[in-house]
Amino acid sequence: MSILELHDVTKTFGDLVAVEDASFEVSDGEFVSILGPSGSGKSTILRMIAGFETPTSGEIQIEGRNVVGVPPFERDVNMVFQSLALFPHLTVAENIAYGLKNRGVPKGEREDRIERMLEMVRLGGYGDRDPTELSGGEQQRVALARAVVNEPNIVLFDEPLASLDRKLRQHMQVELQRIQTETDITFLYVTHDQEVAMSVSDRMVLLNDGAIEQIGTAEELYKQPKSRFVADFIGDVNTVPGSVVARQNGQAIIELGDSRFPFDAGSIVDSGRDTLDVESVAVCVRPEGVRLSDTRGDSFALPGRVRNRIYRGDQVSYIVETDVGTLLANTTAAGFGVGDEVYTTWDQESTHVFASESEEAIEASGAGVGGA
Amino acid sequence: MAKEVGRISGDSGLSGSVRDFLDYIRDKPRVRLGLVIGPPLVVLIGFFILPLVSIGFLSFSPPQQTNILPGGRFTLQNYVRAFTQTVYLDVLWRTTVITIQTTAIVVAIGYTMAYSIVRFSRRTSLLLLLVILPFWTNYIIRMYAWINILQKGGVLSSIMEIVGIVQGEVGYLYTWQAVLIGFVYVWLPLATLPFYATLANMDEDLIEAAKDLGAGPIKTFLTVTLPRTKGGLIAGTILVAIPTFGSFITPRLLGGTNVIMIGVVIENQFGGAFNWPFGAALSMIVSVLVVALLVGGVRSGGNLYGMGGD
Repeated sequence: MSILELHDVTKTFGDLVAVEDASFEVSDGEFVSILGPSGSGKSTILRMIAGFETPTSGEIQIEGRNVVGVPPFERDVNMVFQSLALFPHLTVAENIAYGLKNRGVPKGEREDRIERMLEMVRLGGYGDRDPTELSGGEQQRVALARAVVNEPNIVLFDEPLASLDRKLRQHMQVELQRIQTETDITFLYVTHDQEVAMSVSDRMVLLNDGAIEQIGTAEELYKQPKSRFVADFIGDVNTVPGSVVARQNGQAIIELGDSRFPFDAGSIVDSGRDTLDVESVAVCVRPEGVRLSDTRGDSFALPGRVRNRIYRGDQVSYIVETDVGTLLANTTAAGFGVGDEVYTTWDQESTHVFASESEEAIEASGAGVGGA
Repeated sequence: MAKEVGRISGDSGLSGSVRDFLDYIRDKPRVRLGLVIGPPLVVLIGFFILPLVSIGFLSFSPPQQTNILPGGRFTLQNYVRAFTQTVYLDVLWRTTVITIQTTAIVVAIGYTMAYSIVRFSRRTSLLLLLVILPFWTNYIIRMYAWINILQKGGVLSSIMEIVGIVQGEVGYLYTWQAVLIGFVYVWLPLATLPFYATLANMDEDLIEAAKDLGAGPIKTFLTVTLPRTKGGLIAGTILVAIPTFGSFITPRLLGGTNVIMIGVVIENQFGGAFNWPFGAALSMIVSVLVVALLVGGVRSGGNLYGMGGD
């Protein structure tokens, strides 16, 4: 059963279209991430579900009831704010009690639930403290407890972990998953960090420029990206510009630099345009799909020279300079050195070919080369 | 070699001696502290502490003494007079009442105004400018403007006659209400600014969090906005209550002989009645009351230094 449904939700601020025709469903008890770069409209979607913004058009249903126009204090959802927004003039226990009091939960039951909640977020005995004297991680737990204790239909998260350091963030991710499993409450988590989204959520909604690019599990988004944006955003990817120079028997001949490779024409991902007309394409391959070889091997092979070799323990990363751009290869083959003339090769299965969505040129980009 | 050293470090004249001085005080924090707080301390002692002490001595002197230096005959008769003659207790009481009324009205209007500026407007700086604009005109001139408005046949009277609310000329000058209007008008900016500062400093996410947790607008205001701006509220209250309590120009100009406040009486003791010791005793009583008010306000969470922003 879906607890939350968005139907063609659009939100504009003046001329700015923040969210465009967003539609998705979330099932009861699911952990869903809304993922996208900053300015992609993910927080706006969250704020519309919480009731702080009203959609310009479209419908939002919580438990089958349209909530557009219902003020936040009458919605059965609770939010964990990016700033946490703990009440500094109230103690930890009073913060957690705030929602329960407003719901008219009697005092005895209230105290029981606060006690249990504090235990759940591992802050037993912290009830009388001031939130300002707690550490960042502890404050996160209080904010989480304040939302979850009300047992709402949905708990919304507006990137609350963004301010934590990496180690604490990873720890809190595990805690979030544990609490979600224990309480079986639907979690909707907004983040720009694909790593966080992939590790915590059952499904992800990937946003770009106010529109939904793809909805699916982490594996689906990683392995079957529906657009170049998805391939780019989820994980690392090498992108090589190419062009389709001929077609025969369902095969497209793709030219990369001086080399030509056949590729299944039906597998070229094209958003709306007739694949047969496609000329300019982006050939994408994950770094772990690229191998280094002395000979032309697999379906795709580009000659190049090793520019960098980075030993990473379980594998070795090579940055290879080719005629059409720089490629990153993560392999277990450790036998190549800087300056070696090699072939970077990869097979059809690990290749995603995207038709150029606009006239703008596709630029070659090696995955993570800048940061490597 | 020695010559060179001399040339580098031994700049002659003024800049050299300044540098010597700076070198001298570099590791003498007490001397530096003294240099920083010395001058203001002298001003404070000369123009605040000494006059206050001398007023204190004067208040224990027999009537008709005008020598403000200590050393005269000691007497409690000024205080006895102030606390036993009902006329003075009456004046103190009425001063307290009008102070409370003024403060309540100013706080209500000022807080509403500041709240509206912070929450409902984008033209914040323009509105704040309008709030402080009256300060650019002299206090006395603004009081005369009110005389012009409130007097019999004045602006207010004419408008009301044209609109048809009253027939013939009416006047509101020299009434309790006139003084109240004058006070509210004069102190409103003084309270609005600290209210604005604390409201603008408040984290708006807290309001959203309260609503998210099921609190309606009124409950959100009472449980979040009000407690979070308590410091500014108390600061504004103190800033209004204290000058109102000691005020004498406004009641004199707008209240005439009908509204006598303690400040008017004190001024009269020094100016008209030439009973300085009695005026000094009344001044000391007012000072003690005001200090008590201030201490009470700060104790209950007001923050005059931070203007309530925390």
